[in-house]
Amino acid sequence: MRFEDAAAMLGSSCAKDIDSNCRGVNPDPTRLKDCLNRNQDVLSPQCKNDYGPAFDAIQKRVAARSAVAKLCARDVAKLCAGVQKGDSGKAVECLLAGPRGISINCSKAITEAGYR
Amino acid sequence: MRLPKKTRRYLPLLIALLVGSIASSSSAQTPAGGPPADWVSKLAEPEAVPDLDIAALRQQTADRVKSRADGVATKRPPVAPQLLKLPQLVVEIRFDEDAAVVRPESYRTLGRIADTLTHPTLLTTKFLIVAHAASTGRRDNNLTLSQRRADVIREVLVNTFRISSKRLQAIGLGEEQLLDAARPAAAVNQRVQIATLGSALEPERPASAKAAPAPRPPTKPAKKPR
Repeated sequence: MRFEDAAAMLGSSCAKDIDSNCRGVNPDPTRLKDCLNRNQDVLSPQCKNDYGPAFDAIQKRVAARSAVAKLCARDVAKLCAGVQKGDSGKAVECLLAGPRGISINCSKAITEAGYR
Repeated sequence: MRLPKKTRRYLPLLIALLVGSIASSSSAQTPAGGPPADWVSKLAEPEAVPDLDIAALRQQTADRVKSRADGVATKRPPVAPQLLKLPQLVVEIRFDEDAAVVRPESYRTLGRIADTLTHPTLLTTKFLIVAHAASTGRRDNNLTLSQRRADVIREVLVNTFRISSKRLQAIGLGEEQLLDAARPAAAVNQRVQIATLGSALEPERPASAKAAPAPRPPTKPAKKPR
């Protein structure tokens, strides 16, 4: 799920709940989640249902993006000559072009990360 | 119909805002405006990026507010015209009144910004988050509030969406750079800009240096005789 969709889910399902129970709290994965957790009993059913999955979706995408760096390091070294060390953007673009010999794990990681 | 020069300059922006508000989704979320790909292309790194000293800019803005120069908002020149030349995206982010707390209806927009800043073509680009205020209430409060709001957007991008803090700087310009100077109190002046600051990569060694083999690091000196 894109960050946009996850954030929109949180914002639309929990707008009223945040206003009445977590006023003054920004969409921070620790503080807002803590606040919603504390107020479980009074949350609207929709918010109660959605806030966990919304934060999880954001977390999942964050994790998937850092996994690309690990799972594709060898592929970049082997297949993407000329990509400067540390240039994660160019590396992803190179991998997205689908060079021959890309590892299955790397290819999967790129999909998981939402780069394609 | 001839439009005033300023209006003409900002016309594409106004149209974008307008289109964005028409393409409203059914949820209470403020529409992000335009397709995601447009956001990415608006922020593409240009060939040459001016070297901006953000701390100095912050100081300069604070000084102007403190000295009460350019008192009339409608006649106030932009305090940082150099920022207008950067590739940028203008977004509407709603905050609680008089506070640096993002309203839930703007969460979608924050998510969209995060998606944009983590697009492969922008993955190693640095950005400046610029928050503004409309000219209502005290000028110095507006400056402080806009800096706090810019900081909060940066914090959300860093803490929630894990964008590297090294890629993001934040500045509040208060009411010192009004988008619609003819209507200083208009809500459009509370917009937030995301501007491209250039590459976050260490500069590559020039080609000539690459061609010639780098000088070998001096071999470890033989143990010095005592």
